[in-house]
Amino acid sequence: MMIRSLTALAFTLLPLAVAAQDHQATNHAVIDEHILPAFETFANATEALKTAAQADCSARSPELLQAYHTGFDAWIAVSHLRFGPTEVEDRAFALAFWPDKKGFTPKSLTGLIKVQNPDGLDPQAFKHVSIAARGFFALEFMLYDEAIAALGAEAYQCALIQTIAADIDANSDAILAEWAGPFSQLMKTPSEDAIYRSESEVTQELFKSLVTGLQFSAEARLGRPLGTFERPRPRRAEARRSERSLRNVVVSLKATRDLAITLAREDEALAVTLGAAFGDSLALAERIKDPAFADLNDPQGRLKVEILQQSVNLLREQLNQTLGPHLGVGEGFNALDGD
Amino acid sequence: MKRALLLSTAICLGASAQAKAAEMAEVLDTYANIAEAAFGDSLTTAKTLQASVDAFVAEPSAENLQAARAAWLASRVPYQQTEVYRFGNAIVDDWEGKVNAWPLDEGLIDYVDGGYGGPSDENEHAVLNVVANPGFTLSGKEIDASEITPKLLAETLHEADGIEANVATGYHAIEFLLWGQDLNGHSAGAGNRSYTDYIQGDACTGGNCDRRAAYLTAATALLVSDLEWMTAQWADGGAGRTALGESEAAGISTMLTGMGSLSYGEQAGERMRLGLMLNDPEEEHDCFSDNTHNSHYYDGLGVQNVYLGEYVRVDGTLVSGPSLSDLVASADAGLDTEMKTKLSTTMMSLGRIKSAAEAGFAYDQMLEQGNTAGEALVMGGVNGLIDQTKTIERIVAKLEIEQIEFEGSDSLDNPTAVFE
Repeated sequence: MMIRSLTALAFTLLPLAVAAQDHQATNHAVIDEHILPAFETFANATEALKTAAQADCSARSPELLQAYHTGFDAWIAVSHLRFGPTEVEDRAFALAFWPDKKGFTPKSLTGLIKVQNPDGLDPQAFKHVSIAARGFFALEFMLYDEAIAALGAEAYQCALIQTIAADIDANSDAILAEWAGPFSQLMKTPSEDAIYRSESEVTQELFKSLVTGLQFSAEARLGRPLGTFERPRPRRAEARRSERSLRNVVVSLKATRDLAITLAREDEALAVTLGAAFGDSLALAERIKDPAFADLNDPQGRLKVEILQQSVNLLREQLNQTLGPHLGVGEGFNALDGD
Repeated sequence: MKRALLLSTAICLGASAQAKAAEMAEVLDTYANIAEAAFGDSLTTAKTLQASVDAFVAEPSAENLQAARAAWLASRVPYQQTEVYRFGNAIVDDWEGKVNAWPLDEGLIDYVDGGYGGPSDENEHAVLNVVANPGFTLSGKEIDASEITPKLLAETLHEADGIEANVATGYHAIEFLLWGQDLNGHSAGAGNRSYTDYIQGDACTGGNCDRRAAYLTAATALLVSDLEWMTAQWADGGAGRTALGESEAAGISTMLTGMGSLSYGEQAGERMRLGLMLNDPEEEHDCFSDNTHNSHYYDGLGVQNVYLGEYVRVDGTLVSGPSLSDLVASADAGLDTEMKTKLSTTMMSLGRIKSAAEAGFAYDQMLEQGNTAGEALVMGGVNGLIDQTKTIERIVAKLEIEQIEFEGSDSLDNPTAVFE
């Protein structure tokens, strides 16, 4: 229970309008045009990652590093879709455990490597290992962290990299399989005795994932390294070791832009306005030349990141005031409501 | 306040809706009355804790340490039931970090085991050990800690260097000073600090017994004064109560925000599921005292209290009145039944964790990798909390429709006009 961040905007929602548009068509479009293609891309990218790790598990292998980045991009592009198949068996948590406030990832990996724990050699057993030792952030430590590399045990580290990559791919395949089959069906056919009781509840889930994705970028991806003016925290930047901190924000903005436009499909003017607003944020992101937010101690560097954060907060506010009422749904509760 | 308001606050109630507004005002009265009673009980039990701590420090013995621990455990019962007031009520949210901050890097306060680790990426003061050090540097400033006072803890040490894990005050700091680290890993057993850590003179263990006693005394006094302040905010004319009266709809929204945010993001996510996924025995809320099963249970009960408009005080008397349940029932009886059923299901699941823990199956054992029975128990609670949040969202949607019906404005007839 830490103190709430005071940077979050406290804004007032305008009364929700009665939705005049067709929920069903919108929901189907989001599922078919936004969600399924993104999870297919993700499954292909993790397959390639697994293959690259099998072919060459060296942390210096250019093919492996390339596959790591492509896979991570594809994850970020679906990371706002945190409901249904990603939440079964802790899949999303095991794909990306961050923020890691108490350093569980290096601690768990060090624990595995030091005793050459056999669980790290077997993708099946690895499913039961702490989520902190799994997924993209664990892989990043294996590929980029000097302290981990200095632990030696090269053959074990190599096998562990392969296991982590295989585990990522298995999770991604499992998510796609559920989305491609039963879960799409479930979302497309809401009924009184199902998880989603109406088309409107489905739309609410989709809208919630959109605003939550933006909230996560503003508060965690940008807010954590920003810290306060007196005390910036560049070492808290997401995936800073592989210099992906800014890239993750950009990829997520592009993915949520796609979702926002698809959700606004019945109001062309609104879709255009929202597309332009996302474009403004992306342009602000492009002005930042520091991929890992390393120079937040410099006031100029800090200002650019702060402006981007403000712009993402405004985007969220704009969506709550325009797209939410257009769809007749509210923001609801999300995992960021805690600390 | 992190959460946006869920319900419209810009509502012009028509004459036909006057009765509805009066009904909502009564519901909010009950809500504020429960807050006043629960914070008041937290204060009373904290004073009992303070008396026990004073007696223990004056005369350290195993019996007196046990009495102080028992008083701490009792004080948690009413306090946990107030947590549902955190989210939504800015006055509580801005304050609660002083009394209930968690998780903490306890090495800031006192000695820790060698396996605890050193300064981390996130916190270079993780092993500062104020009890052992009368002077040290913090964010480039020399700090004189020769005298450990409530002021030093609250103003200098708490969240030192802007790091939330630097918890110097509140229940969990006191808990650490009474129990010490729980070094049993995934096995049963709580922290096992000896009363001799407080003996003044040669028999002192752990070193600096005078400073440890001063720390415990100061932290307990601070808890009492913080709770005095918060209890006053819910009395007639207090700021917490007054803020609710500004708009009935916003007040109802605050109630639902607190219920949903505590259920979902905080309790189901941060406190329960995360610990399970990390398999870490210290990822439990009351980790020194092994009291996590109660912490979860009374958090859940607080959510149910707010919905039903009922709270049983520590002296056994019942505080009750017109409730959110009544309000929902008059809009949609089926939805009210759904909410009540789900709250009961959650309480049964949390009750199972509590009864298993009380019978000897400690919460940190439940978190161990491969412990399927423990995982099932904890996930039962998590699933109940997630499921009840869905219904809270349905209530938000339902009441929102009610509000809009009162209004009959542009937003109904011409949805885009409102935003022009």
